Amino acid sequence: MKSTLKPVAFFLMAVLLLGLLVSCTTTPESTLPTEPEITPPTEPESTPPPPIEIIDQLGRTVTLETTDPQRIVSLAPSHTETLYALGLSDRLVAVTDYCNYPPEAEEKPSIGGFSTPNIEEVVAMDPDLILATNIHESEVIPQLEANGFTVVAVNPTTIDEVIESITLIGKVTGAEEAAASLVANMQSHIKAVTDKTGTLTEEEKPRALYIVWHEPLMAAGAGTLQDELIRTAGGINVAGELDRYATINLEVVIASNPQVMIAGSGHGSGGEMTFEYIQTDARLKDTDARQNGRVFSINSDLASRPTPRIVEALEQFARFIHPELFK
Amino acid sequence: MPSNQTPTTPAGTYLSGRRTRILSLLGLSAALIVVIALATSIGSVHIPFSTTFGILLDRLPFVDIAQTWQSVIATIVLDIRLPRVVLAGLVGASLATAGATYQGLFRNPLADPYLIGVAQGASLGAVIGFLLPVAWNIAGFGLIPLLAFAGALLATATVYMLARVGKTLPVTTLILAGVALSALLGSIVSYLIISSGDKMHSIIFWLMGSFSLSQWSEIQVVLPYVAVGTAVIIILARLLNVMQLDEEQAQQLGVNVERQKIILLAAATLITAASVSFVGTIGFVGIIIPHAVRLIWGADHRFLLPLSVLTGAIFMILTDLVARTILSPTEIPIGVITAICGAPFFLYLLRRRKKAIF
Repeated sequence: MKSTLKPVAFFLMAVLLLGLLVSCTTTPESTLPTEPEITPPTEPESTPPPPIEIIDQLGRTVTLETTDPQRIVSLAPSHTETLYALGLSDRLVAVTDYCNYPPEAEEKPSIGGFSTPNIEEVVAMDPDLILATNIHESEVIPQLEANGFTVVAVNPTTIDEVIESITLIGKVTGAEEAAASLVANMQSHIKAVTDKTGTLTEEEKPRALYIVWHEPLMAAGAGTLQDELIRTAGGINVAGELDRYATINLEVVIASNPQVMIAGSGHGSGGEMTFEYIQTDARLKDTDARQNGRVFSINSDLASRPTPRIVEALEQFARFIHPELFK
Repeated sequence: MPSNQTPTTPAGTYLSGRRTRILSLLGLSAALIVVIALATSIGSVHIPFSTTFGILLDRLPFVDIAQTWQSVIATIVLDIRLPRVVLAGLVGASLATAGATYQGLFRNPLADPYLIGVAQGASLGAVIGFLLPVAWNIAGFGLIPLLAFAGALLATATVYMLARVGKTLPVTTLILAGVALSALLGSIVSYLIISSGDKMHSIIFWLMGSFSLSQWSEIQVVLPYVAVGTAVIIILARLLNVMQLDEEQAQQLGVNVERQKIILLAAATLITAASVSFVGTIGFVGIIIPHAVRLIWGADHRFLLPLSVLTGAIFMILTDLVARTILSPTEIPIGVITAICGAPFFLYLLRRRKKAIF
């Protein structure tokens, strides 16, 4: 989809359905030879705004017809949050059933589930930018792209990648300045935490455990945001041996004797059930966390979604793990 | 071979003599105790055998062992591993006994404890429990086990009502009604799962079965059902033998087939429902253990049933041991292990016999 598509681009915006057909028949291969000097991503030669190429977080090269999209569809709750934080809510035309933050996002039209978006609904929204994630890689993205839609996948798995994703979303939506100031603000909050936790010795780091769910008992292991939050907030994740979210033996929890236990709350309608479990199971009563009343509950959306709010989660983790440092 | 075989025992099953089978019962009972001790000694956290045995023996009356262990270790052995091992044993025994009962009752080798709706009824109840925005605890039953138990019993009762023709209960109608209702409930469960959002993971884990958080309080609830149900079934074992004959023949022998059928059905359903509501629908045990026992010891229900109790318990304790230790500190759903460990062994038995079973 290179320069031969340029004339089609306006057409595509104007008459969507016809545009679909045109781009379907225009395969990337057939357009390749027309522009040999494609290596630099930006080429400010022609008069209409040139398409720019970006590499999204799945490592895919995406050509953007515009960096000023007017009709954005978000296929993930985290993208919805980021778009709101960048002040793009008026351009966000549709979200998923699970987009619950900020609360007004729930009033937006929905295109279905997070892992199961309804493609027809997405198409009917006539979007000029669709933000997807890794779970859409094998089926949803190819289907949407085959129909000529621009899909950018954003899939941050660490705090650094969250920041990169915000910069990327800012770039593809023409909200670069808003993204830059949001990122700067986030970085200053993160720095405020790491300035205090970065100098701690291993002995000064409490053993912490993030419990995702209690039946079966599941904890956040290496490769999860919660693991990074615990470590960045100056703790040691006793479930660090686990790979991502996994069931954990109760006896391992007891033997590792966590000093701080954090429960994810609000899973769908699960509410505080996990928190209540940790506080009431008699077998956990001898753990340092229970003995010292250091069992906490945090909104699991806040702790697990890669969004600008991750710094809020970090600050809460820091207060849970080092109350003496963070008032 | 001794002369006191029932007409249903296939001639020539090895280990089928009465004395051999009684010895086998005693041997398996001893093996069960060894397996319980072994499974309690092994876990993610390394605890020396001597410590585990010290802790266990210390709990026996009139035994007093100087405490050399931390209280955390005692908690792990007595309040985490032991209840888990005991619950696994109870559930394994229940499923194997119920499976043997259904297979005998329906005279169908493919019958398992879930054939007439227990599993799907329990699953639907549990899924509804997951989706409700509240959490109760009534008489030791949490909300999810309570709804699973109710769902299992309701589903089976519905199948029973549907299948009843006048005063009789034709076995084929019962199976067909069970299969059809299971399919209906199963589709509702599938629909609820895909619309359950971020609870999907927890629900799927529950459905695959787990002994992850077994507690003594759960055993207190499950044990009475299992004990009474299993006792009733074993007492009626001779009737299951008679039922292997034609039902008409059994009727002529003076057996009130319909009433016994209902009692056996109710007992098997109750022990299955009680087990399933706490640990989820663990597959494979209920169909394979009775067959394995039949292959080794013969089809006389007076031995088949108690031998299934012991074999089911041992098998489930060992598979749960594998499930919780092989990828320690994480756990594998028990249903995965029961099939992986059990299927090859069963196929081996099947090949070794090289003749029709059942």
